[in-house]
Amino acid sequence: MKKLSALVAIIAIMFFSAVPVVRAADTVKIGAAFALSGSIAVYGEGFKKCIDLAVEEINAKGGIKGKNIEIVYEDNKSNPKDCVTAVRKLITVDKVPVIFGPAGSSNFMAVAPVAQENKIVLLSAQGAAVGLTKAGDYIFRVFPSDTLQGPHLAKLAISMGFKKLPVMYVNNDWGLGLKDAFVDAFKKMGGTVTDIIAYDEKKTDYRTELLRASKGNPPAIVNLTYINEGAVQFKQAFEMGIKTQWLCGSAARAPKMVELAGKAAEGVMGTYPSVSQNTKQYQAFKEAYKKKYGDDKIPIFGDYNYDMVYVAAKAIEKGGYTSDGIRKALPQVAKGYKGVTGDKTFDAERSPKFAEYGIWIVKDGKIEDYKK
Amino acid sequence: MDLLMHLCIIIAIYTIFALSLNVEVGYTGLFNFGHVAFFAIGAYASALLTLAGTPFVWALPVALLSAGLCGFLLSIPALKLQGDYFGIATLGFGEILRMIFNNEVWLTKGPMGLPGIPRPSLFGFAFDTLPLYLALSAAFALLTFAVLAVVVLSPFGRTLKAVRDDETAAEILGKNAYTFKIKSFVIGSVFAGLAGVLWAHYATFISPGDFTLTETILVLLIVVMGGKGTFIGPVVGAIVLIFFQESVRFLRLPLEWTRMLGPLQQMIFGLLLILLMVFRPEGIIREKGGRRGD
Amino acid sequence: MDSISYYAQTLLNGILAGCIYALFAMGLTLIYGVLNFVNFAHGELIMWGAYFLFLFMAEPFNLSLWVALLPALALTGCLGLAMEYSVFRPIRRANRLTLLIAAMGLSVLLRNAAQFFWGAEVRTYGFEIAQGTKFFGLYLTTQQFAIIGVTILCVAAVYLLFFKSRLGKSMRALSDNLDLARISGIDTKRAILTAWVLSAVLAGVGGILLALDTNLSPEMGVPNLIKAFAATLIGGVGNLWGALWGGLLIGLAENLGVLFISPGYKDGIAFVIMVLILLVRPYVILGERSD
Repeated sequence: MKKLSALVAIIAIMFFSAVPVVRAADTVKIGAAFALSGSIAVYGEGFKKCIDLAVEEINAKGGIKGKNIEIVYEDNKSNPKDCVTAVRKLITVDKVPVIFGPAGSSNFMAVAPVAQENKIVLLSAQGAAVGLTKAGDYIFRVFPSDTLQGPHLAKLAISMGFKKLPVMYVNNDWGLGLKDAFVDAFKKMGGTVTDIIAYDEKKTDYRTELLRASKGNPPAIVNLTYINEGAVQFKQAFEMGIKTQWLCGSAARAPKMVELAGKAAEGVMGTYPSVSQNTKQYQAFKEAYKKKYGDDKIPIFGDYNYDMVYVAAKAIEKGGYTSDGIRKALPQVAKGYKGVTGDKTFDAERSPKFAEYGIWIVKDGKIEDYKK
Repeated sequence: MDLLMHLCIIIAIYTIFALSLNVEVGYTGLFNFGHVAFFAIGAYASALLTLAGTPFVWALPVALLSAGLCGFLLSIPALKLQGDYFGIATLGFGEILRMIFNNEVWLTKGPMGLPGIPRPSLFGFAFDTLPLYLALSAAFALLTFAVLAVVVLSPFGRTLKAVRDDETAAEILGKNAYTFKIKSFVIGSVFAGLAGVLWAHYATFISPGDFTLTETILVLLIVVMGGKGTFIGPVVGAIVLIFFQESVRFLRLPLEWTRMLGPLQQMIFGLLLILLMVFRPEGIIREKGGRRGD
Repeated sequence: MDSISYYAQTLLNGILAGCIYALFAMGLTLIYGVLNFVNFAHGELIMWGAYFLFLFMAEPFNLSLWVALLPALALTGCLGLAMEYSVFRPIRRANRLTLLIAAMGLSVLLRNAAQFFWGAEVRTYGFEIAQGTKFFGLYLTTQQFAIIGVTILCVAAVYLLFFKSRLGKSMRALSDNLDLARISGIDTKRAILTAWVLSAVLAGVGGILLALDTNLSPEMGVPNLIKAFAATLIGGVGNLWGALWGGLLIGLAENLGVLFISPGYKDGIAFVIMVLILLVRPYVILGERSD
């Protein structure tokens, strides 16, 4: 029986340490369910940095009606199941009226119904998947939907003379959505898709898929891939002597991908929602980031997260610290608001109405804008 | 409070899951390492049906039936295999099923999973708050406990144990071991399916990644640590282990530590399994009349 | 890639995969034969072999590939011995389920330990990316040449050890009947230790080759365990040559199989083959020692 009572004691200790610490009542709390551990932690950490910068700036100017903003971060461990737990906890335990949602369209789409059901506003600063906001009117995003990107990618392919090509894509909400958007647009422009190959994330070996895609020696292959997966794929294709023009979406456009793939990434191209970094506003943001963190490499999607904080703060200021108030105020405050990533006006589906797309290419080991 | 209720719901679900595995592993001596497959079948069946508009009152029995049927179909060839081989075959089945759920996107939406699974409603009464769901899960857990207790206390149950301990002797006494094993396997599969249904409607989001070897190992640990071949064993195991697993999530640790938490927790589970097997293989609750080290 | 090269390259990929599986299977069947149980943690020996090499090639050791191989494989061998001494020997006489569960626990522990130290992301040894050398219209990288070469070397070494040495004879005796071997005065202890070291080193070599070809991840062990087990069964428990052929067969079946079915099911092919074998070849089971 001694063992049993020891066990009970341990359980009791764990139980009591799990009781949340009482917080200062005078802050405006916003929830954030980010990947702080696990395979996409690199994204979550970057977002946190930019969000903290924005919060610091807003608080320095007096916060929201005199109260400081406080972000309650929850780790979602890079998988959808833990995202749901994290969001549930933010809603039931921390009782926040608005939450910054996770990266990864599948992660986000897992929690969207939970937020909608509980009538909590959920924002995304990096979700491109086509159906991201369809869970309901409490779901918003400040990052453009891929329905806008598909046609741009198709136009790129056609303009380079590629009329027949195979499409590879990562088998999740993002890949599927962009694939559909691309294929639709490509066909309308007169192109033919010769093969469609879906593949799983996080694999170490894609040779089977690559072999199949390269069958018949296509001059170009559309590959809607991520950083790690893309690096492995380009590397293995290179080793197998596959010579083709790779056309990608925005998710592989990262210095990390080029670092991992080395010279196999040379010549890879793609489209991405482009943000002009030459505006005074963007430069000011970069300066502030450099001042706080010591370098000026803005993490991927960090600029969108920064804008998201400002838009949310404005909505709270206008509509009050309730989820309904925020929900109604968001379209109003975003209309015409020019953040560092451009005009943040929402369209009817609560996604950005305006987005420009640029073309990127890997040249001499660096990601550059493609100039025709 | 909410945290406590969340814990109790998960405990209830895993109690059902563990009790179902106990029938197979504890009472019949079947090394089923693919048990999570039936959990998944129950979850997906009910989720898909309710998402398509079927009322829960029909979705539930169909899901249970599916799990039981799959258990039956698998057991026929698989039970012809001995010990280890049966284990690996069932493991293989679990993995193949997960691959099917992952690849057949048209049916299960593959890795994207099924979001927005509705809370169950029976005859217009919706179990959409935490306390109500807890009541539902607890009710099912008690029901499972009662049904399985009756099963194992009956002559059927005693035969299972006889088959487990000495199959040849049981056969000599006129019992067809093969059919008993099949029946035991089907019962285990049906209740695993029940646990799956409750899980799907609680989490409101399922994906193939929720049903991996990790879950099988967790439920195996629960049964073995709690004490296989006993009634209360799996219940005790579920309470202790789920408490440990879930409450750690809510600890207020500095952010740098949380990324270590996942693998660390799993390492502890692995270590626990090893220590248990070396020092106390019969688990917390010892089986009556059981021999040490057996 | 034109059609002929496409099929030829697929065949080549099959052989390469098969070589690696053969190494895994030989290690697994060794323990299965000598000690009569499936080492469920064998996949983790594979994975740790690869990570040990990574450890010695990175800071603070910074050794080159060839120099780092020695300590990496030595440590892998030690890991195998550690598994034997701390877990399997104490429960040698326990029932099958206990052994299996203990091995599973070990597998979980080792897998997550790797994730704890190195994180869950895919890692690479960081070698220069080079296009493969053209070889009759196919491309083979240096690593892939190494796979074939090393496998041949290992098979030769195992042959010499097993069939031409006294230690090998002892191991074969153990394989037939552990108790009888003990009574006959054979140094069972040494034979068992050698079996473990050999099994671990084979796994480690295979793991390193695999990682050189496709990168490292903490999860790389488990699917390979299943394939190794399938190969073991095809060849017959304890049969080293059988394991070799079994491994090659699985490698070929996998790569040729995805010509017809979706690549998502590639890992499932080994399972299906295994289950079919189990159902169709009952003497694999009857041929087991009665325990």
